[in-house]
Amino acid sequence: MADGPKLSHTAAMILQAIQAGDGYGFSVMEMTGLPSGTVYPAMRRLERDELIRSQWERQSIADAEQRPPRRYYRLTRAGRAALEASQKRYPLLAKLAEVERP
Amino acid sequence: MRTQRKLLRSASLLVPAAQRVEWLAEWSAELHYIHRHCPESATRFCLGGFRDALWLRRHHPRRDWFRLDSAASCLAFLAACAAACWLLALALGARMPPRPEFAIPMVLGISLLILPSVTILSPGEYPASSRARRWSFLAAKIALLVPIAYFGALDLGALLAPQMQPHGLIVGFVAVFRWALTDQRRRCPMCLRRLACPTVIGCSSHLLLEWYGTELVCTRGHGLMHVPAIASSYSVQRWVQLDRSWRSLFNAQT
Repeated sequence: MADGPKLSHTAAMILQAIQAGDGYGFSVMEMTGLPSGTVYPAMRRLERDELIRSQWERQSIADAEQRPPRRYYRLTRAGRAALEASQKRYPLLAKLAEVERP
Repeated sequence: MRTQRKLLRSASLLVPAAQRVEWLAEWSAELHYIHRHCPESATRFCLGGFRDALWLRRHHPRRDWFRLDSAASCLAFLAACAAACWLLALALGARMPPRPEFAIPMVLGISLLILPSVTILSPGEYPASSRARRWSFLAAKIALLVPIAYFGALDLGALLAPQMQPHGLIVGFVAVFRWALTDQRRRCPMCLRRLACPTVIGCSSHLLLEWYGTELVCTRGHGLMHVPAIASSYSVQRWVQLDRSWRSLFNAQT
């Protein structure tokens, strides 16, 4: 029986950051402390493995704040399942998740 | 901010053309945000773009615009290139500087010593039945590539910098030998046609206990090539022969 993809610690941290934060690339970098050269390729892999999904924000929102539209990421159902499994594998990750919850 | 934008534009050149505009828009948008909230980290952020661009380039499904599918077309093309390089060398009157330390055998030896550091030398696992044909094709390719590298180095040296001809020769030999081996590994061992339909199999996070790599197919139904994502002592390129019962699924032109 397949247990689903086993994530590395880095990938699990990124999934958690996407779930807990705004889902933008820089917010993931800030939450995980990882550099852009690590975060973005990891997010590409996660999107390829269909654990996250990306979407451009609406132009009207960006125009209202006078900035270019950003691409944000969200967990898919498979991504949420993978994150739950990772939190069982990596207890420290689960503790960080408890801290992040209000 | 101008420097960071130039960095991103430089990195975007590595991104496959179909994804470049979107990639640049994503990174530029993040840069705009970083520049407003954390400007001291903007340059470091942009430098990470090169790694992301390289990842996209590496994992983009390749569409070779110039495939040289069949063995005959490949050899014909190489012969034409060799003839063109030779004629150009004649026209330019290019000559190799008389330096004994750059005699052809020594240059070849140095190139062969460098070769293992730039490519895998192992041909992989293949059936014994097609060995003579495969080695003959490889020998023919190398026989045509050597004059291409030699006369090409002469031509470039005559056009740009004659004193760099010997060094260009070493680089040229390493490049052509590497191409010959890479091309050989991408061909069906039975019909020597380029394999097609690359498909990624497995998951990169399952590298230790499961197989992760690319599967290529011979369009004439001779078999499948399994290329591991990371070559190791226990995971090499492997050919899976298909028997004749599979041929009806492919374009039967044998």
